[in-house]
Parts: sequence; C-alpha cells; structure tokens
Amino acid sequence: MTDDPILSVSGLEKTFGGITALDGVDLTVDQGITGLIGPNGAGKTTFFNCITGYLAPDGGTVEFQGDDVTGNRTPSIVREGLVRTFQIPRELENMTVRENLLLAPGGQSGEKLGRAWLRGGQFAEDERRSRREAAEMAAFFELDHLLDEPAGSLSGGQRKLLELARVLLTEPEMVLLDEPLAGVNPTLERKILERIHELESQGQTFLFVEHDIELIMEHCDHVVVMHQGQKLTEGPPSAVRSDQRVIDAYLGEEI
Amino acid sequence: MALADFAVSLLTFVAIYGLFALGLNLKFGFTGLIDFGHVAYFMIGGYVTAVLTMPAQVTGYDGLGGYALPELLAVVPGGDVLGWLLGVAGGMVAAALVSLLVGVPTLRLREDYLAITALGIATILNEVVRNETWLFNGPFGIRTVHQPASAAFPLGLGSFILNLVVFGGLSVLVIAYAGYRVGSYVKDVDTTGAALGLASVLVLGGSIGALTQGGPLLFVGVGLAVAGVAVLREAVRRSIEPERTLALVVALAAAAWYFLQPLLAASNPTVTLQTNVMFLFDPVAGPNGGLDYDRFFMLLSLAFLAGGYWWCQRTINSPYGRVLRAVRDDEDVPRALGKETFRYKIQALLFGSALAGAAGSLYTIHLGFISPDQFGAMITFFAFASVIIGGTANNAGVVLGTAVFWAINSGTQFLNDYFPSEYAVKLAAARLIFIGVLLIVILYYRPEGILGEQDYDIRLPGDEPAPSRDDTAAAPGGDADD
Ligand SMILES: Nc1ncnc2c1ncn2[C@@H]1O[C@H](COP(=O)(O)OP(=O)(O)OP(=O)(O)O)[C@@H](O)[C@H]1O
Ligand SMILES: [Mg+2]
Repeated sequence: MTDDPILSVSGLEKTFGGITALDGVDLTVDQGITGLIGPNGAGKTTFFNCITGYLAPDGGTVEFQGDDVTGNRTPSIVREGLVRTFQIPRELENMTVRENLLLAPGGQSGEKLGRAWLRGGQFAEDERRSRREAAEMAAFFELDHLLDEPAGSLSGGQRKLLELARVLLTEPEMVLLDEPLAGVNPTLERKILERIHELESQGQTFLFVEHDIELIMEHCDHVVVMHQGQKLTEGPPSAVRSDQRVIDAYLGEEI
Repeated sequence: MALADFAVSLLTFVAIYGLFALGLNLKFGFTGLIDFGHVAYFMIGGYVTAVLTMPAQVTGYDGLGGYALPELLAVVPGGDVLGWLLGVAGGMVAAALVSLLVGVPTLRLREDYLAITALGIATILNEVVRNETWLFNGPFGIRTVHQPASAAFPLGLGSFILNLVVFGGLSVLVIAYAGYRVGSYVKDVDTTGAALGLASVLVLGGSIGALTQGGPLLFVGVGLAVAGVAVLREAVRRSIEPERTLALVVALAAAAWYFLQPLLAASNPTVTLQTNVMFLFDPVAGPNGGLDYDRFFMLLSLAFLAGGYWWCQRTINSPYGRVLRAVRDDEDVPRALGKETFRYKIQALLFGSALAGAAGSLYTIHLGFISPDQFGAMITFFAFASVIIGGTANNAGVVLGTAVFWAINSGTQFLNDYFPSEYAVKLAAARLIFIGVLLIVILYYRPEGILGEQDYDIRLPGDEPAPSRDDTAAAPGGDADD
C-alpha cells in the first residue's frame, strides 16, 4: 500500500446538451476496494467514461498513479493499467469466448503486423501464454465448457462474467467495475468477490458501482456517494449509511 | 475460339479480380471498413506499374515516364523480370500510400461516412487521371504497357513431343487433380442424390451441347435444360447434404460442357477436345508447339492469387487478425483492452489497397492497355458482389465468389450468339439484372455467402504432436491449445 492516491480526480465536468451529468467531481481513490453508489442518473457511468477516455471531459483533471491522463485516449490509459467494465456487457458476439479472452492480455507480439507475417521471436511463446491465462481465467469464472462457443450464445450473467474475466486478463492496476454483479448467481457472486479481495490484497485497486447496499457495506473499505453529478459525501461504509443526506437522496428509510 | 481459350481468359480474370477482392475482404470482411473506393487502388497500381515499366519517350504519350525499369535492369540475367517485379511493387506501394492519405482523415469518421467519402475520393482520383494529360496521358491512356518476359513466348522446349508431354501432361495433371478434389469433397453424398445429380447433369450437358448447335435445336435444348433443372432440384432435395450434391452437379455440368460439348458441336471435334484437355499446350505456337503467352500469363496471375491468398490467410490466422475482427465487431471492445485500433484500421487499409494495386498491375498487362474508363465505380461493386456471394470474411469464399461472379458474367456472353445482334446491349443489361437477383437471393437465403465466415486457427510450431502439452499447468478443462 502506498500513501499516494492511485486515482485523483478534481473538478471533473461533463454536460450533454442541457444535462449536466458531472458537475465538478473531486475524488481520490486509494489502494483497496472503494464503492461508488448513487441513484440512477447520478453520473457514475459518465464518470467512468470520462476518466477512461471514452468521453472527453469538459473540464477538470484526472491523475492516475501520479500521471496526468486527462483526455488521453482509451488504449493508452488501459496500457497504463486503468481499465473499466461496461455496465451493459459488450461481447464480440461473432467471436468465441476463447477469442474474446485472448484479446485481453497485453504486449502480445503476434498482434503486430510484422510479427504476424514473420512469426518467430516471441510469437509462439506469447500465444501459448495468452491461451494458458485465458483458459485459467475461464475456468475460474466457470466458462471453460463454453470456450469454443460464440460469445453471442452466452446468457446475460455469463456475459457479465466474460466481461470481468477479460478485463482482469489485462493485468490492470486499477479496475472500474460498473455493476459487475447484476444478474450473477449468488455462489459465483461470492467467488468473484473473493477473487476481488484476493487481487486487492496483491495490490490492485477497485472502484465498484453497485446498487446492492448490503454488498457495498460488507466488501468496501470506503464508500463514495454521487448525486446529481456531484460527490455528495464519502467515508467508511457505516458512516455513509447513517448520513442523512444519503438516506434522503438514495437509500430511503433506513432499514 | 475453343472453350480452352475462354477458360484461360476466364481464369486469368478470376485470378486478377480474386486478388482484388481479397484486398477488399481484408478491409470489409475482416476489419469492417466499407471502402466503396477500392477501385482507386486498382487504378493506381495499374498506372504506376505501367509507367515504371514502359519505355521512355513513346509517341502519342505525354504523361510521366516511362521509366523502363525492365530495360534498365536487363544488363543482368533475369533483370528484366526483376525490373517488372519492381514495377509491380511500385504500384502496390503507390496504392498503399494513396490509401494512407485517404485513410488518415476518413478512418476517424463513422463507418457509413467512410463509405461515402471513399466513393467520392475514388471518383475524384479517376477524374484527375482523366483530365490531367501530363500525369498519365489523360483520356487517351497508355497503349505501350510492358509485358514481362514476352520475348520468351511462345515458350517451346525443343521437340514437339517434348512440348506435348510436358505442357500437355501438366494440363492433364491439373484436370485430374481438380477431379480428385471434387471427388473427395463429394465422396459421401447420398447415392440417390448422386445418381439424380448425374442424370440431371447429362441432361444439362446434352442440352447445352444442343444449344451450342443453335437453330431449331435451341427449343429442344431449352426444354431439356428446364427438365434438367427440375431433376437437379429433386437431387438437391433428396440429398443428405445438398451442398455436396450441388458441388457435384456443378462440377459435372462444367465437365460435360467442357469435354462433351466439343464432341457434339465443333466442326473438328477431336482437335477442339485436344485443345480443351491439353489446355496449356498450343500445337501451333512456334515451330514445335509450346506454351503461349496467354497461358503463361494465366499461370502468373494464378501464382499472384495464390501468394495473396497465402498472405491474407497468414495475416488473419494470427493474434493480429483476431484484433482486426474485434475492431470489425465492436471497436470499443479492443480499445477497452488497450489495442490501438486506429493503427489496425490503417494497416488493413494499406494492405488491402496494396493487394488491389497488384491486381491492377496484372490487369493492365493482361489488357495491354490502360485508360480511366476501365476504372469506374462498378469495379468496386463487382468485388463487393463477389465477396458477398462467396462469403464475407472467408478468403477461399471470396475467390469462389469471384469465380462464380465472372463465370456468370462472362459465361452468359455465349448467349449472345443465339440472339440477333441488336439484342447484345439488352443482354448485357439482363446479365446485370441476373447478378442482382442472385445477390438478393443469396442475401435472403444465405446472408453469410456460399461458404460463410471462415474458421480461424493460429498454428504454433510444435502444436500438432502434443496438443495438450501446455495444459498441464492450466486449470482443469481449459483446453489451451486447439
Ligand atoms: N451519451 C449521453 N448522451 C446524453 N446524455 C447522457 C449520455 N450519457 C449519460 N447521459 C445523461 O447523464 C446522466 C448521468 O448518466 P449516467 O449513465 O452516468 O448515470 P449512472 O449514475 O450510471 O446511472 P445508473 O445507476 O442508472 O447506471 C443521465 O441523466 C443521463 O441521461
Ligand atoms: Mg450507470
């Protein structure tokens, strides 16, 4: 664990025509598992889009591991180690589950045109490594019997798993998870959370959007609440839960 | 004209346009780039190769060059061929460079904008070539296209017998191999289907034979052909695997047409049959017979096609090709995994355009003449039709689709002989309508094309003997090597 924040965002703004989706968000994320909650339309997904280069923010800065990455292009941000999952899973439906996974590992020499033509060098070695990692990841997410099926034939929950498996295969420093567990069955959900804790203990960082408040309470070190494009509050789970503004804006009557 | 000459010309065109369509398939089929301006690179390849290889100061030519590369290099043995190859390489590079200029601004556009922009740019390039006489002689074109190694043809090997044995034998081997391939593909067709298929083919072959004699037999022929089609339908319906029966029927029909028809129709059946069977051997070329330039050029074009096919397959069956397909399916996904998708799109565009450039070089030589009229937008759409008919994102399918397209397009020209000459224009239009209908039928019943998307397999050295060697370390059930 380091003392410097992994991600630090200040004054992030984004408007869509008349809608202000992000209205000056300031946020720092330390190593660990941080929960990001807030009502529908609070701007959580837009926040992810703006820090990972999918959308250009209208204002503010994003620093990742001390580098200013504001407005950088997605692939370069990903290669620095900041990846995200999509709230609505985006599988390559015509490609097999295996191929979907094989796209993820970074630095594959066979992905360069010259290497693809000449082969040689690290070509075979890299491909073997990717296949091994993909198979392991598929086995963990209980997708191994589906490796040769087109991803388009997966169920909704399986798509979520494939999305998560793919992102983890990039060996990221920090993962932005946009409701990764919605629609995943309870046993697998537990398994995934265990995996996340395990990766966290190895030094990875997670920022986790989830509407299941119990889950957030149980698994996050720190919780951030967004509301109407702004950070409403943040703190340890128990403090956030009893915060009156959070109850009014999001949780409703305390259970 | 013997059918062999027609077949040679058809195969040459199929090889050239096949190479062109492979380039388009790389852009459109595998990467999802809808390049409606593909013909521009065909044109550039053709012109640049022509200018690089033709002699300097030709009368009636006011454009750039020629740079006479084959003549310059002829001082070393084989240098003229090397010079010509450099000319082709120059055409490919020029095509790729122009596509880079087009691609850098347009590839950032949404795909439908790319299609429209590319169409516009191709039209503009064509107009520039047509109007700027200083460039490539404007509308008059180039009539002095260099033909590689043409001085060596007709190529004889000394005695007549030797020529007959070598070129004739080679032809027979090729036909036998084709028959073997078809046979092994069709082998386990249901016997009823096969028998019906054979019967229908005999009827069809007979009717075509009758057709080629013209006159009142025409009606008999048409009647027989209708009956043949009905039987064929039945054969396909009864067969366990309609594709194989269909392949058998098509192959046998082609064989009947090619080998039986001369016996029925020509004034000198044995000579025509000999020409058809020994299609590479021309008994009247040179003093002792031999290989004529058209045959040689067909082989050269087929060699280029084979090279392009191999090259495309190697590109696609690699992690690189995997990323290309990911870009095609949803560009955001490979981006979210750290791939520089823009670079992949540019490279696919460059490579596809270079293949189009090589095809353009061959095309120019084959016609011996090049002018802007030959490079209308139609050529691009013919290639799209070939790709869609044969199978988008299938390199073999694209070659097959090109063969089907040009067989229909050129084969139906024989029909001209049976109609009064004033119908020629209408027949040409009818041909396009027929191809259009075929395209609609294919898009409706088999949108993936005849062969559908190809299978992918990244072979790694040492994979076959121990397929699961690396799996020991992998998790259970994970089959890492396939
Ligand atoms: N591409 C877009 N174009 C226009 N408006 C958008 C776009 N993306 C988001 N918005 C608007 O921005 C606001 C924030 O949306 P966002 O998707 O970030 O919410 P969210 O917090 O992720 O909600 P949920 O919990 O439902 O996923 C919404 O009002 C939405 O309508
Ligand atoms: Mg959201």
